[in-house]
Amino acid sequence: MRLRTIGLLLGVLAIFAVPVVGRAQTAIPAAEIIDKLTAADDTAPDVDVAALKQQAVDRIKAKADAQQVKRPLIAPQLTKLTQVRFDIQFDPDSSLIRPGSYGMIGSLADALSDPKLQPFKFLIVDHTESGGRRDANLTLSQRRADSIRDVLVSTFKISGKRLVALGLGEEQLQDANKPAAPVNARAQIIAFGKPDVVEPKPAAPAAAAKKGAAPAKKKR
Amino acid sequence: MNRIRIALFVLAVCAPSLASAQALKFEEAASLVGASCAKDIDDNCRGVNFDPTRLKECLYRNQDVVSAKCQADYPRAFSAIQQRITARTTLMKLCNWEMNHLCSEVRTDPAKGLQCLLDSTKKATGNCNKAIAAAGYR
Repeated sequence: MRLRTIGLLLGVLAIFAVPVVGRAQTAIPAAEIIDKLTAADDTAPDVDVAALKQQAVDRIKAKADAQQVKRPLIAPQLTKLTQVRFDIQFDPDSSLIRPGSYGMIGSLADALSDPKLQPFKFLIVDHTESGGRRDANLTLSQRRADSIRDVLVSTFKISGKRLVALGLGEEQLQDANKPAAPVNARAQIIAFGKPDVVEPKPAAPAAAAKKGAAPAKKKR
Repeated sequence: MNRIRIALFVLAVCAPSLASAQALKFEEAASLVGASCAKDIDDNCRGVNFDPTRLKECLYRNQDVVSAKCQADYPRAFSAIQQRITARTTLMKLCNWEMNHLCSEVRTDPAKGLQCLLDSTKKATGNCNKAIAAAGYR
């Protein structure tokens, strides 16, 4: 009788002892994101997002810098800005965010909702590791950056005016010596000044996004 | 009889953790959907992104095959996200007195107004403080 009671007690406890939140991917805590991004000053950095997109398209079209290991960063100025790098898992060749990364997006949303970060605008940059077609990777990374932005806006109601999405494909390798390394596929969120200071110009349509562009062979 | 008492006692002890589900952070709520529903999303909602309307609709539409854990957790998680968003939307209205009397100089600037409000919680009314807590700012 006593054993059964203990069993019942343990059973009930077990139900509530299960962590409320299981994690498939460890999200960067919002507090850490806030700490890093609040280090940015209020002045808008000199970054022309539309020009960067066009530059990436032109470089791929011209087949310039074909060798990945010798390819210069397309936007070296971004590396100097206050930022946090994070992993988001997507379905292969898709901009669908894997459920295991929902927590990371939620953590970003928590950080962006914090009063300390509310004065700022942010650039969400997605990258792909090298592999498959360069133009397809550029398109894919733009779609993925858009997808992260869309979820922050639609699910967590972060103001769209504060978020600019930029895909740089494999044109900004973090580790050029290992072009296929997963580290090159990390996304960035960059503090980008105040919303009323910088307004993005409409992006030129990417050549890679034209109808008929072959899908990327790479998967991640 | 004793067993029932013990079970009731344990439930009473655990009740606060159930109530706190209402105050999940975005990260906790999003992780909850991801952890509890990953397989169900893969199996039934492939192609649907983390969008509250479409994903909820898909999981609801497939409730006959969606796991019990997912069925229990996704409404709670999306509800927590929505409650926090609503609390943030209505915060300034519920704290109107505080904004007029304690933060009037900065009330036109949303970020500075909010920061001022959070710095003034000791002087704020009970209702305003409740609203601040519901919005997850404390």
